[in-house]
Amino acid sequence: MKYLPLVWAALRRKPARTLLTCFSIMTAFFLFGTLEGINVGIANVVKLTSVSHLIVQSRMNQGAAMPLAHAVQIRSVPGVTAVAPFTIVVGTYQQPNNPMIVIGSDFDAMLKISSDIIVAPEQAAALRRTRNGVIVGVTTMKQYGWKVGDRVPVRGIAPKADGTNDWQFDIVGTYTLQQPDWATRIWANYDFVNEALGTGKNQSVLFYVGISDPTKSAAISQAIDDRFANSPDQTNTANEKDSIETTLGQIGNINFLVNGVCGAVLFTLLFLTSNTIGQSVRERTGELAVLKTLGFTDAGVQWLVLAEALTLAMVAAALGVALSSRVLPWITSGPTLSSQGIGAMHVPNMVYAAATLIALLLALISGVPPAARARRLNIVTALSGR
Amino acid sequence: MAAVVSIQNVVKSYTRGRQRVEVLHSLNLEVQSGEFLGLMGPSGSGKTTLLNLIGGLDKPDEGQITVAGERLDKLSGSQMAAWRARHVGFVFQFYNLLPVLSAERNVEVPLLLTKLSRAQRKSNVAAALALVGLSDRASHKPTELSGGQQQRVAIARALIADPTLLVCDEPTGDLDRESAEEILQLLTILNQKQGKTIVMVTHDPRAAAYASRLLHMDKGTLARDESRTAA
Repeated sequence: MKYLPLVWAALRRKPARTLLTCFSIMTAFFLFGTLEGINVGIANVVKLTSVSHLIVQSRMNQGAAMPLAHAVQIRSVPGVTAVAPFTIVVGTYQQPNNPMIVIGSDFDAMLKISSDIIVAPEQAAALRRTRNGVIVGVTTMKQYGWKVGDRVPVRGIAPKADGTNDWQFDIVGTYTLQQPDWATRIWANYDFVNEALGTGKNQSVLFYVGISDPTKSAAISQAIDDRFANSPDQTNTANEKDSIETTLGQIGNINFLVNGVCGAVLFTLLFLTSNTIGQSVRERTGELAVLKTLGFTDAGVQWLVLAEALTLAMVAAALGVALSSRVLPWITSGPTLSSQGIGAMHVPNMVYAAATLIALLLALISGVPPAARARRLNIVTALSGR
Repeated sequence: MAAVVSIQNVVKSYTRGRQRVEVLHSLNLEVQSGEFLGLMGPSGSGKTTLLNLIGGLDKPDEGQITVAGERLDKLSGSQMAAWRARHVGFVFQFYNLLPVLSAERNVEVPLLLTKLSRAQRKSNVAAALALVGLSDRASHKPTELSGGQQQRVAIARALIADPTLLVCDEPTGDLDRESAEEILQLLTILNQKQGKTIVMVTHDPRAAAYASRLLHMDKGTLARDESRTAA
């Protein structure tokens, strides 16, 4: 600790350069923390999804509506235990820039399909009794400061059958999940939403399907799709895990993209930091020689230079990852992910550990050559300016 | 008086390009404890090389150097560094202070190598700065001090670890006459009142006049040795 003023002094020698380098490292680690956080978050989403639920979507276009009548046929497929249709109200809450998505579904069927939804039975019953009732995820309740009994006005994007755009939903209960952060959806009664819609009545953008035997999910999926093979509204059925993986696969190999971007940024950063530390040591040749003259050993001066590189890399990396840990939940708490039942993502512990290791490596790789040069520095030669 | 510095048959040469240039030729010298030795001579006569050898910054090619009871030619690099920290204070022509540290932090640097507590270091630094008359400039950075003041900080830094020997390489070479006089008077006080042994290289006859013994070097040998009464 007593050598800290010397390390600090070296970093303060050219404050603008140190700040810019610090900012570059911070930005790189912010990017690393955020992208890897998303990457790990997505992997967790896939890991936590179930193979015991099926998702039936339109084969023509993912997200395209299918007739509600499909639900009856899907229910008749052997092995299917429950079917829940999805119809969606897209609108805004209070402010035009505050998007809100409400899912009209058969909540009782959802409870049969998805055993991880935790809701009080009396609140589920209240939803059955209240046509415009909604059950809201605890995370969304907290986000907007809502409580049971509140009325939530939503201004729909599309006009309703009565010509207005205004929806009024009464909160009759809340639900949570094993991972409460992900309890973000707003469940309404399908019938209420369906009757009020101006267009797209008696349709469903997807069907959530419960099955009796998860090991037969592939066969049941095939059986469902076969049912609609000659229909103008063909289906594409997969278990929830496969469905999400397929959706993500359409974006690209996210893992490769994230690691590629992070790798390129950190590799570039290595040159920048090496150059900065190297330049700083070259400029201080005389000062390092003075330290040796005063009794600092070759190894001592070497460690001072390394400590400088370590301090710069570790502090800047810590700031970058700390910033990403604040920003990631914020940028992933939007309604699009919420409506998918995916809550805000957080920078996982393994990313903190990886960032520490990378910062350490960065400091060592960029700091060792100038530190070795400082160690080899000949006092007489350096002081004579040769 | 005991010899603080004992140099016997020392040879030192440097390689410049492909040429090997012998700078010191079989040099013999003794400096007694409490002496204020001035080294004079033309450029290239070997003054600074001799000073570097006495200060433990360099090693001879041949011969023996004993300073403060230690055979410097036998020490390893790290032993030499530890020896310098304990026994030698350096004063350079261009002060060589660390520019981003305050005067007190600069003076404290040699004490970082000791086991003194922060409070002890602070107290010793205050005493050293008081000795050179810069207590009121403790928090100033080198760029905020005049040349003479910077050199006094450098002297405080050289004295802080209570060394056996002060090695000064043209300490007044970068100063105006008034500041140079102040620095030389300070060195004289340190020599006479505190008994510090001083070896000083100088080109300036006025500075040399402060030395109690004056050695003239020429072409790597001692040309003349004058004992004198200090100014």
